[in-house]
Amino acid sequence: MSNLKLTAIFKAALLVATASLMLASCATPPPPCMGPTSKSLHYAVDEVKGRLMDGCIASFDRYYDDLLTIAEGDPKPENKRIFSEFLVWSGDQGLLSQRQASDYYNRYFNIKFTSMQGDYNNCSHTCPRRDRVMLNMERELSDKERGLLKVSQDSAGYYRADELYQEVELVLEATCTACNANR
Amino acid sequence: MNVFRTRRLARILPARYAFAIKRMTGIALLISLLASAHAYAATTQAPTIRLFPTTVVEDLRQTSSVAKEMETGLQEVIGRLDQQQQLYQQSKCDGAENDPGCQRLAKQLGATYLDMLSIMEERLPDMEHTVNNTRLSLEKRLRSELGNKMTSWTLQETLLGGNPQESAAPSPTMRGRSGMRLSERFKQYYQLVASSSSQSDQSLAVLASDIYLDMEETSELIARTREEITRATLIEQLNQSFGTITPEMMEIVGGVKSILFGDESTQMQVAGPPPGSIEQAYRSPLEN
Repeated sequence: MSNLKLTAIFKAALLVATASLMLASCATPPPPCMGPTSKSLHYAVDEVKGRLMDGCIASFDRYYDDLLTIAEGDPKPENKRIFSEFLVWSGDQGLLSQRQASDYYNRYFNIKFTSMQGDYNNCSHTCPRRDRVMLNMERELSDKERGLLKVSQDSAGYYRADELYQEVELVLEATCTACNANR
Repeated sequence: MNVFRTRRLARILPARYAFAIKRMTGIALLISLLASAHAYAATTQAPTIRLFPTTVVEDLRQTSSVAKEMETGLQEVIGRLDQQQQLYQQSKCDGAENDPGCQRLAKQLGATYLDMLSIMEERLPDMEHTVNNTRLSLEKRLRSELGNKMTSWTLQETLLGGNPQESAAPSPTMRGRSGMRLSERFKQYYQLVASSSSQSDQSLAVLASDIYLDMEETSELIARTREEITRATLIEQLNQSFGTITPEMMEIVGGVKSILFGDESTQMQVAGPPPGSIEQAYRSPLEN
């Protein structure tokens, strides 16, 4: 009888222990997705790669921004290549699409403006939303200032982008005035 | 050429004709290959934009010469106005309007002012006509070449030219509001456009936009001036009876001078980029 009692108590205790263990495992927080700790871009990229592979893909934007900040601390032309390789790797791992990888790179490190993409002619598509296009270009120019000037020390590239922005502004003003004159 | 039909013909015709036909077929094939290669080359090259056909160049030349005529006509009368105004001030006529000598000076000044208005009234329609012609031809070209034939992306690529890493060719001075004679401005435009064959598409697009926007402003200014001239003439004719110089009169003369002969103080300088080497610039496979 007492043996039976003991067994029942033992079973109950085992059940409670298992349940609490299961509850505890449910309450375990997801991986913290901490930012890179290294101040060297090379190591920081490796850290970020590790975190991304551990499931922190939702933090990609933040990591990219962190890497840019770290690169600003040690600006050099070679940084462009490091970012390009990191983005190519992200594409290869399936973390980004080819288009996304390309946009991340070009927005910061290319003279051309990704915000100038469009499949329709300027009169029908660009002119009706010229203000928005110019605003997007202005924002992109400030990202280019960061990528080209502050991260890669490519002052000539940045000033060419700035010049291109001004030329686009002038040419779009004239073209859109000409397009509207026909209406 | 239909090859099957040629073969059938060759069977019918004697051997020497058949040989000739075979050769012709070969030549035709070669020609069609060359033609398709040419067509391929044409599609791979960026399309050339035609912003300055001869009509636009001629309109610009005409505008420059009409502006020159107007300036020549006005130069003398504006010089006279300046002298008279100086004399009026040196004679301390401000505040002594009732003095008979000052009244005579004021009347002379008013008459010269009327002369200036009448020269402008006479020359402005020609000016307006040529400016509008140039503006309209450029408008048509910009709409068709940059507005309808290009997307924002191709426009950007045109502005960047063949090699985006290279800095753009030195662009012409922007916008004609920089203290320069009207005729000189148009003469410069004409010279730039007339030598346009040596310029790249990117600077031509900027140049065409610049001229067009300048023409828009000039055209608007001329229309407003013409409206004002009638009113100013009437007021001055009334003033002649009283022999007074109005501040408005001096303001109009000042305005005309700055439009025609420029204002040195309005010249703006844009800082150039700092020197930077892009020789070892890295090119990512992600670049588009």
